[in-house]
Amino acid sequence: MASLNLQTILDKETRKKMIPYMLIAPVIIYYFLFWIFPVLNAIIESFKSIEGVWTLGNYIHIFKDPVFYRALLNTAFLVFFSVTIEFILAFGLALLINTKFKGSSFFLFLAMIPMALPAVAVGAMWSSGLATRGWMNSVLMTFKIVDDAGKIIFLAGGNIASMWLIILIDAWQVIPFVMIILLAGLQGIGAESREAGYIFGGTKFQVLRKITIPMLKPTITTAMILRIISAIQIWLIIVMLFGFNRIPVLLEQVVLNVDELGSDFFERIGMALSVIVALIVSAAAILYLKVSGSFEKEAEK
Amino acid sequence: MATLQLIDLAKRFTKKVWGVRKMDLEVADKEFIVLLGPSGCGKTTTMRMIAGLENVTRGTILLDDRDITDIAPRNRHVSMVFQNYAVWPHMTVFDNIAFSLKLAKLPHDVIKRRVRETADMVRIGELLKRLPGQLSGGQQQRVALARALAVKPKVFLLDEPLSNLDAKLRVNMRTEMKAIHQQTEATSIFVTHDQSEAMSMADRIVIMKDGKIVQIGTPDDVYFRSADMFVAGFIGTPPANFFKVLCSYDSGGIVLKHTHFKLEIDAEKYDKLKEYNRKEIILGVRPEDLLIASEDKAVFSEQILVIEPQGSHQVVALSFEGSIVKMVIPAGIKLNHGDKIGLDFNRERLHFFDKETEKRIILRQHLV
Ligand SMILES: Nc1ncnc2c1ncn2[C@@H]1O[C@H](COP(=O)(O)OP(=O)(O)O)[C@@H](O)[C@H]1O
Ligand SMILES: [Mg+2]
Repeated sequence: MASLNLQTILDKETRKKMIPYMLIAPVIIYYFLFWIFPVLNAIIESFKSIEGVWTLGNYIHIFKDPVFYRALLNTAFLVFFSVTIEFILAFGLALLINTKFKGSSFFLFLAMIPMALPAVAVGAMWSSGLATRGWMNSVLMTFKIVDDAGKIIFLAGGNIASMWLIILIDAWQVIPFVMIILLAGLQGIGAESREAGYIFGGTKFQVLRKITIPMLKPTITTAMILRIISAIQIWLIIVMLFGFNRIPVLLEQVVLNVDELGSDFFERIGMALSVIVALIVSAAAILYLKVSGSFEKEAEK
Repeated sequence: MATLQLIDLAKRFTKKVWGVRKMDLEVADKEFIVLLGPSGCGKTTTMRMIAGLENVTRGTILLDDRDITDIAPRNRHVSMVFQNYAVWPHMTVFDNIAFSLKLAKLPHDVIKRRVRETADMVRIGELLKRLPGQLSGGQQQRVALARALAVKPKVFLLDEPLSNLDAKLRVNMRTEMKAIHQQTEATSIFVTHDQSEAMSMADRIVIMKDGKIVQIGTPDDVYFRSADMFVAGFIGTPPANFFKVLCSYDSGGIVLKHTHFKLEIDAEKYDKLKEYNRKEIILGVRPEDLLIASEDKAVFSEQILVIEPQGSHQVVALSFEGSIVKMVIPAGIKLNHGDKIGLDFNRERLHFFDKETEKRIILRQHLV
């Protein structure tokens, strides 16, 4: 009798343990069918020639192509400056809104509008705006900042100028997103921690540096990783403004090879490129975690 | 070495919401003042104005006769213990306590010594290397206390510092904080909504209601000479009982007539009540001033509703005219609920209040 009892108890416990697995099973199946399987397939295909022979040829082709290095450099430039600028501005805005000045909630609402727009709409809006006969020049002319002869040809600048334009547009769209994450973090800290800082001798700046930012650290890390990952993957706006191959970036090259050129050969190049992009994204995220983590240890000393 | 003055201080949050309507208070050097009042009466707002965390709408704050009304918090020499401790979770206990000292650019060895001293004073000397997340609530409370003591402030503000602790710890901390105050002699303002905490700790109690001061006085003042019915009904466990009586005065003496009893009192002693002849007044009686009396001497009799034994004494509740009357009697008297007992008043300690203004009717005896 006793052993029977024990068995039913065990049974119950195993059944209890099974519940979470059963709950996530559909997700795992979905994951396998629609995500891991295609990804694995792409990785395998990237190591095969058109004839189906195992090869490193696709990768060698990419590494010999000067456009790849331009794309890499451009992407790095965009990621570094856009993430930095966006973060600083978004943090400033979050601090401002967190002071709860009169009308701050309306301002928050206004600031969120760009976030609600899909990337294609943003691209369309700016490409029509920045065209030589676009609304940007009309506005400038209305305010007599430029005249008809002096219309600015926004999209004809050199590589660097074009990239600043891209950063500007990206920042316009992304700042609200970063700001909201940071704002949520700030509100989680609570005012008393900061107020204690003021009472115990801190200036605004000292409290920001020694209390607010360290306490906001987990939020900052989350926001930064999300931003770095999506900044590496920027392409749609660039293509909508400049077309393919004017300002090459990594993901734009993937799309170009897979969708535009589209032959069996280029498709494989595209797959190899996606593998490289995926590796870069993971490496960047891990690197950021490592670097911010070691800063933390330094601060503790 | 610090005196604090609040002069006509007020804080208005919005058109309709006042945090504090009017505060006039002088705190003497080394004094331990307790702000006492129900939740929402403006205690925290007062503290935050003194600390500089809240702009004042009207009035002046003087610290050692210097006007600090518009000075930044960090330049006020005031320190504060928050209700939720507000210790910084990313700093060790040492760094929490040393924060203000480091910003004041004190030499390294001075900082170390000062942190050690204050940590030992609140008995967390062993915990200096820990992060607050690894400490219990009571220990975090001590960190907040040490952090506030380490600066050697002119004024020490404590906003309900004990309200998040469990009952036993709270009573122990009372004693400990009072001992710390006797040691540091820092001018202190302590906020609580717990009247027994206030009574046991204060040099003087400031009782607040709806953003205004109702009474300032020693624990004895507010208990034995409550300024109005609010104070008498707020202070004491249990608080005072009230009876509406008609006061009639004739050559024989003063008689207080209640619908259920009649009480004759010494006309000479309660001389002042002559002014209330044929008027209704409120009689206030503390629970320990209700006495059990034999049937022939009883002013009135009533059945016992509930008995609450407290160890050292018992609280007896009677249902009287639709409300509850509570009395305190010594332990050891055997009574059961349902028993009918006769009651008398301790005529030496009766309180009288004006029925309209609810203010205390001041009798001659208190002037002697
Ligand atoms: N920041 C604020 N904005 C608006 N009203 C407030 C604010 N802080 C406090 N109040 C109001 O002021 C009154 C006094 O609050 P408080 O000083 O916190 O009371 P206590 O500490 O005595 O419980 C309350 O009615 C409260 O709702
Ligand atoms: Mg409060």
